[in-house]
Amino acid sequence: MEHMMSKLSESILDKFSMDFLRSQVLKNAYGNDDTVIAALDPRILIVWYLFFGVVPWFVNDLSFLLGCFLLVMVTTLLAHVAGLVLFLFALGVFSQTGYLFLATLLFGGDASAIPPLLVLTLKVATISLASVTVFSGLDPDRLSNGLMWYGCPERLSFSICYAYRMLPMLMEEFQNVLLSYRLRGNPPAHDTLWGKVRYLIYQVKIIMESFYPLMLNTAKRSRTTVEALELRGYRYAAVNKTVKKIKLSALKVSYNDLLFLALSALWVALCIFCSTLF
Amino acid sequence: MSTVQKTAATQSQKLMIFVLTMSLYGLATLFTELIPKFQVGLVEFSVEYFLFIPLTLSMLFDPLSAALGAATGELVFSEIMLGQFGGLGELEKFLTVTIGVYIAGRLVRDPKNRAMVGVAAITGTAAQLLMGTIVDIAKVQFAVEDFEAVAGLPESVFATEGFAFLNDLLFSGIFFCLLPTLYLVPKLYGKIEPLLGMAPRVAASTTSGLSPKAILTCVIGFVCAIVAELAATAGMSLIDWEAEWAESGTALAAGMVVATALAVIILLVMKKNGERNAVC
Amino acid sequence: MNAVEINGLTYSYPGAALPTLTDISLRIEKGDFLAVVGNNGCGKSTLCKVLNGLIPHFITGEFQGEVRVGGASTLDSDVGTLAQKVGYVYQDFENQIVRPTVLDDASYACLNYAFPDYLERGKKALCQCGLEGREEEYIWQLSGGQTHLLALAGAVSLSPDVLILDEPIAQLDPMHADRIYEVLRELNQKHGKTIVVIEHHTEYIADYCRHVLLMKDGQVQWLLPTGEALQHVAELEACNIFPPQVTQAAYRLQKEGKLPSGAPLPTTVEEGRAAFSALRCRLGAAPAPAPRPAGQRAVSFQDVSLSYRSVKGEPRTIFDGLNLDIRKGEKVALIGSNGAGKSTLMKLMVGLLRPQSGTISLFDEPIGAKKAEDLSRQISLVYQNPEEMFIKDSIRADISYAMQVRGLPDWQARTDALLERFQLIKLQDRDGRLMSGGQMRRASLAIGVALEPGILLLDEPTANLDIATRREIVGVLEDMKDIIQTAVIATHDMQLVCQWAERIIVLRGGRVVADGTRDEIFARQDLVDLVGIRPPEIFSMARALDPQALCYTVEEFTNCFQEA
Repeated sequence: MEHMMSKLSESILDKFSMDFLRSQVLKNAYGNDDTVIAALDPRILIVWYLFFGVVPWFVNDLSFLLGCFLLVMVTTLLAHVAGLVLFLFALGVFSQTGYLFLATLLFGGDASAIPPLLVLTLKVATISLASVTVFSGLDPDRLSNGLMWYGCPERLSFSICYAYRMLPMLMEEFQNVLLSYRLRGNPPAHDTLWGKVRYLIYQVKIIMESFYPLMLNTAKRSRTTVEALELRGYRYAAVNKTVKKIKLSALKVSYNDLLFLALSALWVALCIFCSTLF
Repeated sequence: MSTVQKTAATQSQKLMIFVLTMSLYGLATLFTELIPKFQVGLVEFSVEYFLFIPLTLSMLFDPLSAALGAATGELVFSEIMLGQFGGLGELEKFLTVTIGVYIAGRLVRDPKNRAMVGVAAITGTAAQLLMGTIVDIAKVQFAVEDFEAVAGLPESVFATEGFAFLNDLLFSGIFFCLLPTLYLVPKLYGKIEPLLGMAPRVAASTTSGLSPKAILTCVIGFVCAIVAELAATAGMSLIDWEAEWAESGTALAAGMVVATALAVIILLVMKKNGERNAVC
Repeated sequence: MNAVEINGLTYSYPGAALPTLTDISLRIEKGDFLAVVGNNGCGKSTLCKVLNGLIPHFITGEFQGEVRVGGASTLDSDVGTLAQKVGYVYQDFENQIVRPTVLDDASYACLNYAFPDYLERGKKALCQCGLEGREEEYIWQLSGGQTHLLALAGAVSLSPDVLILDEPIAQLDPMHADRIYEVLRELNQKHGKTIVVIEHHTEYIADYCRHVLLMKDGQVQWLLPTGEALQHVAELEACNIFPPQVTQAAYRLQKEGKLPSGAPLPTTVEEGRAAFSALRCRLGAAPAPAPRPAGQRAVSFQDVSLSYRSVKGEPRTIFDGLNLDIRKGEKVALIGSNGAGKSTLMKLMVGLLRPQSGTISLFDEPIGAKKAEDLSRQISLVYQNPEEMFIKDSIRADISYAMQVRGLPDWQARTDALLERFQLIKLQDRDGRLMSGGQMRRASLAIGVALEPGILLLDEPTANLDIATRREIVGVLEDMKDIIQTAVIATHDMQLVCQWAERIIVLRGGRVVADGTRDEIFARQDLVDLVGIRPPEIFSMARALDPQALCYTVEEFTNCFQEA
């Protein structure tokens, strides 16, 4: 318990460095634009995702799920996804099903609870990895173009690109504000258990408080951004059909895209074939 | 002329609020993904939200823009950017966050009135949490097919979800939503508006108050959230994959394998030809 | 033909009691290169926003009079149409860039206005702004100067006839600043664009601009050709605009009767060569070289290596085996172009970054072994952007914060003393962000010295300030010399370096390429060429007249050069 607490309190401000986070997010967004996955047409990938992101929910067949899981694992590897994202994936799967398993045991369940939970875990894992492949593997621009082709609101696709543009700046600013607290603040000593709890509370409080300056600083930025957007015709484009057409004319489906779909389909068919055998 | 100017100005202000909330809440949710959660027994202590950010902004500015900005921020920064996009489930989150924040923003008539801010903050949070809980229970119930048959599972799901709701409301709700909002709203009031070139919200402003229309919109939104989740279950019985396989048997599956394999081969040949043509 | 015509313009912001612009009538010729100068808050930026139609279409308010751009009234056109006539680059230009990659951002406006050839237009604009070959790069890979050029390219891509830039070089080192102005000159001369800059660096005005517009209290004082405009030394100085140092020197010498009165004042080094030709350098007693105190080592870098993770490929090495000592009592200036490692060096000193290898010690104790609260007593960092130092809702709370949380017994009294010293008493309850640039700087300095640290680090303390405010801050820094023993300033501001620093360290590519007094540094032409630092104009002027002369300020120059 104490060990966990100390690890936790260290992780928030000290070990968990903003630089690391920033580089991981950027790496995830832009560091893998030369992979097989990134070169695929975003529309094809979204269709592909719709299959692997939805179908596993409906299927309870173990060998089919296992097959799908293996496939999305391969595509995830192909997409060169950043380590942090994979770590989050693992954490996410555990938090969704692992704790449920523990709770089931606590309420008097037995080993019979394991198979349904295993199925559930496979489902969650497959769906998560499919989304990791598509959303981390594609660069944000292509992704937002793909979404737009399917008629997603223009504001969403703008938001995606803008978020990637802003994130490094926001993080730097947040980092500097936190640094101000670190340089000028006086954190409680954290040698004892009580001290560690207080240190943890202190850190959480600091993160909360740091949003006060951050809100004001970001407000200043947004004003320039929105004025500049106005000058650069953002609102004009949002209601103009030709602009959308021009934007989307850059998307082209190649043989590689179809091949990717066909190979995935072949694999799925094989899985179904296997599941009917056993 | 003058009316055109007026709408243009409010449009731009809305965009500013949207951009502001999106960036801030997006950044914050990115952290919540990374801050480890830990449990003491059943009590999960997690910094579940930085929901105070959109709550604060929705009380100071146009609630709908802030609410949509927050939901978009979470979707884009923590779901799409980190590849945590969970498909249909995200729609539910998107809608519940939007509704929760929107309700809180509409409840506040005067940002200087602390009691009003506090009540609004906790109401918005509770609304969001409650909707989340209902959807969560439904989700597990439908995902695990023999849900009722597994000993102890239904009880444990109801207990954990119900407990999680109370725990979130009392722990996250108070510490991470109510208190920070109470701290920030009065501090920011009158300071942040000039930076965006707006006049501070006053009691007479029309953006406050929860009209029947607004409530109706919220209810419809929530229904959509549930429908998004239930679509999955409905689909399950409609599609009924397993039954299909059982009837048509191995032959159909084998047929599918052959067909897709053929497609792969044909595509490979076409691609090669295409490349040769391109070279020539 | 006039690019811009303004008749009887009066404008007030919504809710403002007094108009920001009062009865302005103005003509800007097509193909002009115009500098707009004036006090802070005289309405320069507002005037520019009137030209591109943001006022009154986007920012409402009371608008009277008529503004015509390229013959069309701004009231009759919408912002979109006007954007294709007037391009605008903000002072905080990085917020204007909304797309992740270079070409994408450059062609964004063209795409939005539905030009089918938007990519070609974007490429052409990048080419005109000297960014060719960087089309595929991501924004964060660009340096500050390149980011500014990109913001410019974004505006140029719509091929507007008029380009407006709000303080284009405020955050740039001299090399990048030259680059921006060279690009602007080319756009002006080759492509016939009308260029309007809000600028207070009069050296650049003298070198590049054709006309100068002086504004005061929301009104136009005059619009004159540059050479003539800069002669109005007294009037400009009253508005806190300081003419080029050469002009100031000539003005003083004229007043002292050492130069014939009535002759036009020189505005550039070239003109100065002729104007001062009658003067001879009388080398006074050279100022005694500042004694190098062999005090205790305050900061010491031993074999420090540091590299950043990069998004792709190999990590980027910033420092490789850096060795450097800074001794107690020294006043050090760190100079070098953008990206030479100045800020990184400072971050290492406060323990924000940890080196991959090597040790950094403060007062002979390794930083790693120190507790954060001890560290903050010994060293303090004032950021380049003061807004990031304001974490509380009033200046008073910000200044007292560090003392209060450490439970210093007399923190109230000390806060009062600091407020007094930095002339912030009247502002103490205001939020730092809502103050003017100079006030923000003063407040950030007060925050930085609150704990009376042994070492004070200042990152670009004069960036983004107009000349008058900069003088004020330099004064404050001088004044602080007694409370701060050791100070390190990272800066591009060579006037500040010359006036303040006793030791200058020149960084280039993470290595110390020179280290010495100002005479040792600035006298080395090879160094000046290599690193791209630029001595103050008056120094170059003196050297042009007499290669032996070492004058760093206008006073030294006027004392040194006398009639033969």
